Amino acid sequence: MLVGQVLNGLVNGAMYSLVALGFTLIIGVLDKLNFTHPEIFMFGGFAGIISINYFPAPWGLVTSFVVGGILGLITEWIAFRRFKSPDSKITAALSSMALGLVFTDWVQKYWGTEPVSLPTLPSWMEQNVRIAEVEFPYLNFFILGVTCLLMITLHTLINKTRMGRQIRAVAESPMNASLLGIDVKKVSQVVFFISSGLAAEAGFLLSLRSASANSEIGLTFGLKALAIMAIGGLGDIRGAMLGGLLIGVMEALLFVFGWGRWVEMTVWVVVIITMVIKPSGLFSARLKTQEARA
Amino acid sequence: MIADHLFFAGINLLLAWSVYVVLLSGNLSFAQGAFMALGCYCAGVLTVKLGWTLLPSVLLAGSFSALIATIVGYPTLRLKGIYLILVTLGLTVCVRVLLENFKFIGGVGGFGGMKGADLTWVLMAVLIFGTLLYFFSRGPMQLVCDAVREDELVAASLGINVVATKLATFAVGAFIAGVAGALYGHYMNFVRPENFDVLLSIYVVLYVVLGGVNNMWGPVVGALIMTLLPEYIRILAEWRPSVFGLSILLILLLRPQGILRFRMSTQSSKELLRHG
Amino acid sequence: MVETSPKKLLVIQHLNKNFGGIHAIKDFNLDVNSGDLIGIIGPNGAGKTALLNTITGFYRANAGQVFFDEIEITNASIHDIALLGVGRTFQNIRLFKRMSVLENVMVARKQIFKRPVLQLFNRLDHEADLERAMDCLSMLNLSDKASKSAASLSYGDARRLEIARALTGEPKMLLLDEPAAGMNETETNELIEDIQLIRSKVSSIVLIEHDMNLIRSLSDRVVAMDFGLKICEGSANEVLTHPEVMSAYLGEDEYVIA
Repeated sequence: MLVGQVLNGLVNGAMYSLVALGFTLIIGVLDKLNFTHPEIFMFGGFAGIISINYFPAPWGLVTSFVVGGILGLITEWIAFRRFKSPDSKITAALSSMALGLVFTDWVQKYWGTEPVSLPTLPSWMEQNVRIAEVEFPYLNFFILGVTCLLMITLHTLINKTRMGRQIRAVAESPMNASLLGIDVKKVSQVVFFISSGLAAEAGFLLSLRSASANSEIGLTFGLKALAIMAIGGLGDIRGAMLGGLLIGVMEALLFVFGWGRWVEMTVWVVVIITMVIKPSGLFSARLKTQEARA
Repeated sequence: MIADHLFFAGINLLLAWSVYVVLLSGNLSFAQGAFMALGCYCAGVLTVKLGWTLLPSVLLAGSFSALIATIVGYPTLRLKGIYLILVTLGLTVCVRVLLENFKFIGGVGGFGGMKGADLTWVLMAVLIFGTLLYFFSRGPMQLVCDAVREDELVAASLGINVVATKLATFAVGAFIAGVAGALYGHYMNFVRPENFDVLLSIYVVLYVVLGGVNNMWGPVVGALIMTLLPEYIRILAEWRPSVFGLSILLILLLRPQGILRFRMSTQSSKELLRHG
Repeated sequence: MVETSPKKLLVIQHLNKNFGGIHAIKDFNLDVNSGDLIGIIGPNGAGKTALLNTITGFYRANAGQVFFDEIEITNASIHDIALLGVGRTFQNIRLFKRMSVLENVMVARKQIFKRPVLQLFNRLDHEADLERAMDCLSMLNLSDKASKSAASLSYGDARRLEIARALTGEPKMLLLDEPAAGMNETETNELIEDIQLIRSKVSSIVLIEHDMNLIRSLSDRVVAMDFGLKICEGSANEVLTHPEVMSAYLGEDEYVIA
C-alpha cells in the first residue's frame, strides 16, 4: 500500500535524519568527521535494551540519549582531543574509525553477533491506529513525533539559547570564538554530547521498530547517514534533515515499485552523483550561514 | 596450516600495497574491497564459465578492475579528503549490491567452482609487485608522486599532469586489488559478495596506517602483523577487532605516520650523500 | 643566424579577470619579447599576482587572450602551460618541504614526461637530469646544500630554491613573484647578480617586485599597475617618476622612489 510504505519511508528517513544531524553538527561546528558516530547509533539500541530491563520503557528514550552522549564525550576525548590541527583531520577521522571497531567488538563480545530481542514492550507500542480505513502501526507516529520533538529542541537550542550562540560562533571560527572568551573545549564537548545523543536515540527508535537491537547496523544504516550528510551539504542542518527524509522516501518508493533489491545502493548512488555534480551538497550553506538566514 | 596463514598474509599484503599505491598521489581510497570483488568475480567467470586457465584470467581480472577504476576515477578523483572517502566507500557498497543482484554469478548465495591458486601464486604476485614497487620508488616517478601528494598546484606548475598521475595510481592500485581478489577466489573456491564489503576496505586501509604510509615496507609490516600475529597468539585472534582498533589508536597518538615512517629518498640524494 | 625583429614571446591582449565584484585585472595588454626582462610594480592589491596566476593557468580569465610563443594559452591547463616553457615562483614560498633540496629541483625536470613509461622505473637521462639540477642549484648558490631537507633552509635560501626549481625545467620564460621579499640589502644585491646570471639561461623574465633597486638594476622595461589596470609602461626612469605612479604609491614609505 503506497501510503503505508511512504509513511514507513518517512519513519526510516526520520531516523536517518537524526543520525545525519549528528554527523553534520560535528562537521559544521568543529570541522571534524566522526566515524565512531555510526557505532554509537548502533549502541543506542543496546542501551535501550538495558534500560527497558530496569526502567519503564519510555525511559529508554532518555537513557539512550544520555548513554550516547557519554559515549560521544569519550570519543571526543580519545579520538579527537589530540588531533586539533588542520593537517590532522584525516588522522582524527581514522582514529574514530578505529574506535568504532573497538566499540563494535565489545558489543559483539557481550551480546553476540546475532540481533538481540528487546524485552517485552508496553502494549500501546505494538498497536495499530486506524486512519481512513488503513491500519498504521502506532509506533511509526511515535517515532516521527519523537524525531520532530528532538529537531525542534535542537533548533531552539541553537537559535535561542546562549550555548547555541556560542556553538554558532565556534562554527564560524574557533579562533575568533576563543578570542571572544568562549570556552571552545566546552562547546566541543556539548556538540559531541548532543550529536552522539541524537545518534543513540535514533538507534533506540530503530530497535523499537524492529523489536531487536542489531550490532551490524553501524556500517550499513549508520554509514548511510554519512552519505546523507554529504548529499545535504556538510554542516548543513536543514540539508541533513531533508536529505534523510528524501532518501527514506526514495527507498520506500523503490520497494513499492518492485525494485527493492537495489535499495541498499540508493543512497550511495545519489551521493556519488551529487559529489560529482555539486560537491558542496544540495543545500550548500554551512551551519553558520544557514542560521544567519533563519 | 602455515601455508594457509601465509596465503592470507600475502593477499592482505597485496591489498595493503594497493591502498599504498593510490596513497602515493595523495588519495585515500576505501574502494579496494570493490576492486578486489570485481577482480575475483571477473576471473571466476573466465575460469568457471568460459574455461580459461588461471594466469590469463588473473591478468584480465586485474585489468578489468583497473578499467573500472579509470572510468569511475575520472570524474571523482578531483574530490579530496572526506569527499573521496565517501565516494570510495559508496563504490564498495554499490559493487557489493550489484554482485548480489546478478543471478548469473550466484547473487547473494555466492559463486563457486574456482580453483587453482595456491601459496606459490601469491608469493609470485608479491615478489613481482614488490620488485616493481621497489624500482619505482627509486625512480623519478616517485618524486612526481611525492610532489603531487604535497602540493598539487605547484606540481602542475612544474609540468606534472596531476589528473593523469592520480588516475594512474588509482588504476594501478585497482589492478593489484583485482589480482588479489582473483587469487583469493581461486583459493577459497567459493565466495559471496559480503566477503568484500566496507569492513574489508576499512581494514586494508588501516593495515597501511598501522605499518607506515610513507614507504612500501609499511604496508608489509601492517598486513603481516595483523594477519600472522593473531594466528599464533590466541587472545589476539579472539579480540582481533579490538586489538587492531586499539593499536591504530595508539599508533595515531604516538607515531601518526605509522610504524615505519621513513621516506625513501631517491637515488640521486643517496648518491650525493655518499660522494659528499 | 640573422636576428630579425625580436620575437614576441608573451602577448597579452585585453585580459580581464574578476572575482564576483572584485575586478582584479582590467583590460590588460602587454608584449614581452624574447630577451626582455620586464619589471611589474604596483601597490598591494594592484593585480600583479592575479596577472601571474592568470597567465600560468591558476586562474581562468574572464575575457581576453594570452599567447605564449605564438600559441594561445588562455585558460589552458596549468601543466600544459608549464610544458610549453613557462616557469614561475610563488609569492609565499611553496617548496616541497618533505623533500631534499636536490629532489625539489629534480622533480622539475620535464624530460620525465617525454618518455613516461620508460621513465617509470628507469633512470634514462638520469645523469643529464642530475647535471642540469646541480647547475641550477649552483647558479643560485645552493650546491652545497643539495642533500639538506628543504624544510631546514633559511628564508633567503628557500627563496632562492624556489627560483632554482623553476629554472630547472628549462623554461623559455621565467615569472618571478616578489623574489626579494623579506631579504636584506646584501641578499638583494646577491639576488640581482644571480638573476643577471639566469638571464643567459632563459629567453625572458617577468619580475614582480616592490624593491625599486632590483627593478632599476634589472629591468629593460617596467610596467606599473594599479586597481587591475596598467597605468604606465616604459623605461625604469620614466615609470618611476611618472606622476600617476607616484600618486598610486603616495603615503607608503617602502615605495619611496629614490
